[in-house]
Amino acid sequence: MKILQVNNLCKTYGKGETQVNALKNVTFSLEKGTFCAVVGASGSGKSTLLNCIGALDTPTSGEIYVDRNNLFTLKEKERTIFRRRNIGFIFQSFQLVAELTVEQNIIFPLLLDYCKPNPAIVEETLEILGLQDRRHHLPNQLSGGQQQRVAIGRALITKPKLILADEPTGNLDSHNSQEVLDLLIKASRNYQQTILMITHNNALAASADRVLHVVDGCLTDLGTASGEGGLYRDEKLS
Amino acid sequence: MKNYLELVSLYAKVHRKQNRMSIFCIFLSVFLVTTIFGMADMYIQSQLLKTKKEDGNWHIALNKISDAEAELIAARPEVNALSCYGTLNYKLDKGYQIAGKDVVICGSDPAFLEEIYPNSISEGTFPQTEHEVVVSGNIKKELGLDIGHQILICDTSGTTYSYIISGFTSDMPMILSKDIYGVFMNTAAFRTFYPGVTDGAPDDYDSSFFVQFHNHRTIRKTINDIKTQFQLSDTQIKEQAMLLGLLGQSDEGNRFMLTIYAAAAVLSTLVLIASVLMIAGSLNSNIAGRTQFFGMLRCVGATPRQIMRLVHREALSLCTFAIPASVLIGMVLIWILCAILRILSPMYFATMPTFAVSLPSIVAGIIIGILTVFLASRAPAKRASKASPLAAVTGNTNHLPPVRSAANTTFCKVHIALGIHHAIASRRNLLLVSASFALSIILFLSFSTTIDFMKHAIKALSPWTPDLSIISANNDVNENLTANCTIDRSLITILQENPAIKRTYGRMFAYHLPAVTNGREHTTMLISYDEQQFRWAEKYLLNGSIKEVQTQPTTALIVSAPQYNNHTKIQTGDIVTLTVNGQTTEITIAGMVSECPFNTSDSDILLCSEDTFRQLTGAENYTIIDIQLTRNALDTDVDTIRALVGATYTFSDQRMSNQSVLGANYSFKLFLYGFLFLIALVTICNIINCIAMSVEAHMKQYSGLRAIGMSDTQLEKMIVVETVCYAVTGGLLGTILGLFLNKMLYEFLVTNRWNDPWQLPITELFIILTIVIVAVILAIYNPVKKLRTMSIVETL
Repeated sequence: MKILQVNNLCKTYGKGETQVNALKNVTFSLEKGTFCAVVGASGSGKSTLLNCIGALDTPTSGEIYVDRNNLFTLKEKERTIFRRRNIGFIFQSFQLVAELTVEQNIIFPLLLDYCKPNPAIVEETLEILGLQDRRHHLPNQLSGGQQQRVAIGRALITKPKLILADEPTGNLDSHNSQEVLDLLIKASRNYQQTILMITHNNALAASADRVLHVVDGCLTDLGTASGEGGLYRDEKLS
Repeated sequence: MKNYLELVSLYAKVHRKQNRMSIFCIFLSVFLVTTIFGMADMYIQSQLLKTKKEDGNWHIALNKISDAEAELIAARPEVNALSCYGTLNYKLDKGYQIAGKDVVICGSDPAFLEEIYPNSISEGTFPQTEHEVVVSGNIKKELGLDIGHQILICDTSGTTYSYIISGFTSDMPMILSKDIYGVFMNTAAFRTFYPGVTDGAPDDYDSSFFVQFHNHRTIRKTINDIKTQFQLSDTQIKEQAMLLGLLGQSDEGNRFMLTIYAAAAVLSTLVLIASVLMIAGSLNSNIAGRTQFFGMLRCVGATPRQIMRLVHREALSLCTFAIPASVLIGMVLIWILCAILRILSPMYFATMPTFAVSLPSIVAGIIIGILTVFLASRAPAKRASKASPLAAVTGNTNHLPPVRSAANTTFCKVHIALGIHHAIASRRNLLLVSASFALSIILFLSFSTTIDFMKHAIKALSPWTPDLSIISANNDVNENLTANCTIDRSLITILQENPAIKRTYGRMFAYHLPAVTNGREHTTMLISYDEQQFRWAEKYLLNGSIKEVQTQPTTALIVSAPQYNNHTKIQTGDIVTLTVNGQTTEITIAGMVSECPFNTSDSDILLCSEDTFRQLTGAENYTIIDIQLTRNALDTDVDTIRALVGATYTFSDQRMSNQSVLGANYSFKLFLYGFLFLIALVTICNIINCIAMSVEAHMKQYSGLRAIGMSDTQLEKMIVVETVCYAVTGGLLGTILGLFLNKMLYEFLVTNRWNDPWQLPITELFIILTIVIVAVILAIYNPVKKLRTMSIVETL
């Protein structure tokens, strides 16, 4: 079942001589439960792609379907609510709310939706993240790894169909990076969530089910890491 | 690029939008200071014009000096004009008359009517010979005389003095309101005319020498020189204190001028504080967004000191546009205010220059502008100098703000909780923002007491103030008469038919009536009111009932007016036993009023209905008939009314003196209400700026919140809640401190002098709180609009 379908996505910045084509006719889709990595050089258009898919940015042309809903035919308010309920975000810089505790940050999307959080699910999430004893701490009392775990918890709590992660380990050391990756893989496997993750880390990309390569706004599917096509793994091995 | 500081202009060219808020803050503060000082200057200029017009453009008057000494003084280079001036029959007690009407005779040199009271001669020339006189303009209208005609002055013995009219003066308030004539002779003629003196000293002719100086800055020194040179005593020199004060040359008057400038200085200091806070806030938020840029400069070798210099230079460079623009706009505003003053009271302020340049306001604007920017850029400069080079290298500038406690999401929705938390989490921030909100409320409430002071100190026109009065010829307050009501009451009906008359109403007076109240003997004055006058009195009713006086016989209102030293001991409910024409009647006091058209401290004033007055005195006719004219009434209409009334009664034309009162009121009101308007403007701008900067500072966080699913509506509500928190705390703080200061100032300015107790200034409080609410709404509108169009990706 396709969770994400991107058709002929283009994004252009500027006009005339200063025009930059950040994305050029990008087309791809992701199945439910896929853990996909996006790789590419700086300025290649990875973040632009992620921002468009997450409806944080508006594409110049093309279509994006998340769970068969065309994101850009929705009104702004509907799109925000749809994003809140169906797309989880994990940022390199965590983007935690400094004024909320660990637990409040995790349940934040539910609170925005005026839903009463299920204590059992919150407890389970905190346990998975290993943050039970830190639930009443403020973000500035946590390490970088712990902060990113809170961000992952926040992305998971609404059980979104799609999780978008923009270099989630960019600010973390190798130990914490691995922990974060394990959590994401776990989520993907256990909850059948589709994850699209930007990374510069080849080792992390190698753990993905599928790898997309962005060069100058053009997307190439490097195939699955498990062997189907196996291009990325082959390249890496060679 | 020859110097690293040139980076400032290069950076500004590329990032024009970034400095907009800071430029606006500087513009606003300089504009306010320029306007405040400009208004103070304008007020002084307006008073200067009014004083010169009413009291004459002279600086000192010298008496008991000889003509020879006067000549020596006149020859001094500092003296612009010197004129001998004396009057005869000024108090109308010497019996000189022209055509049966009292006349004041004045003797002076030409300079008096040309320099001291310029433009006094409306037609003809100053008397060249001893047989010529200039007469008041009303002689031309009333007696039909013209230049070259003969005029006769009679004295009490019946002797007549013949003169040829050489010119007419323009209208003078005293001449018109007293319904008399004025005659101006030259000094020689005056001395010849003056009775009982031959070859006397100027002082023997009741004359003084009026002196006008050239250079206003050295007046004080010149006065002292003259005093020393001619060994004059203090009593020989009379200073025109108001004029000298307005020119900054009198200790007594200086106090007035200094008070005005002190008020401007106090207000400017408060504006300065608000400006420093505003500009510092805007520069801080600008600097905060450029940490990486300053870090990069540090990376490439800039020292912290160089960074500080760069920020200072950057801040000062913002002044190059903001200061000239705001000074110019401030000046334009002053020009508009002057134009309003000219339109409102052309009689006094017509000569106010259209495009006057107020040097004190420009200097104050520039100095305070630069000072404010310099002070405001100190903290941001320090902050910029501490930017980490590492942050620039790693790009990791996003530190979490220092938060001590979590938002309480238990009792309210998360966005509401975050709004409250943003406002109250940092006590220092809450105090600063609330204090800046409160500052405006405190300022407004404090300055509003000056309006009460003005209402007490400057005589305003009462609703019953007439333009014209027809007064009984035998009317004399010093005589014990009950039958001085000689104006036929049917005249009112005739007058009412004239379209130039808006309203006419009559009063009957009975003076010095013996009375006994509560066993105490005293005298009273009984005045009758018609329906219209009772309606006006309702506004001044302190207690009791006006209706009862109108409908019940032998009832009256008592006037209690301590402002005119009328401290009556009679209270509502007292019985006053009046003796009128030998008969005693008991009058019940049905109410008390604080004002009436006539005031005296000699006797108690009772106001009764016309029926009661007639019943008591037997009088049928009026003592005074007052007339209020329509707005479009012309001099010819007044002449028609005068002709209709005839010469039997005194015809008092008070239009000019009313204009004087209005002129004083307009200039003071424009000044005070202008100040209050500026305070309101400071309030609005300060609140808008505060909220805009707060939102600007949180922009990155707001983007983060939007990225993780907060809707625009929730975000807006969060900002609204935060702003409301500031407004509530600031409003409370401002109201408490403002009311305290309001009470203190009111007691100092008003209660101490007029005994009026302080009352809660509900209207003023309502106005300023409404302004705060409007400002809060305006303050929220722009950031909310900006947030809606803001790109999450660009601000994240």
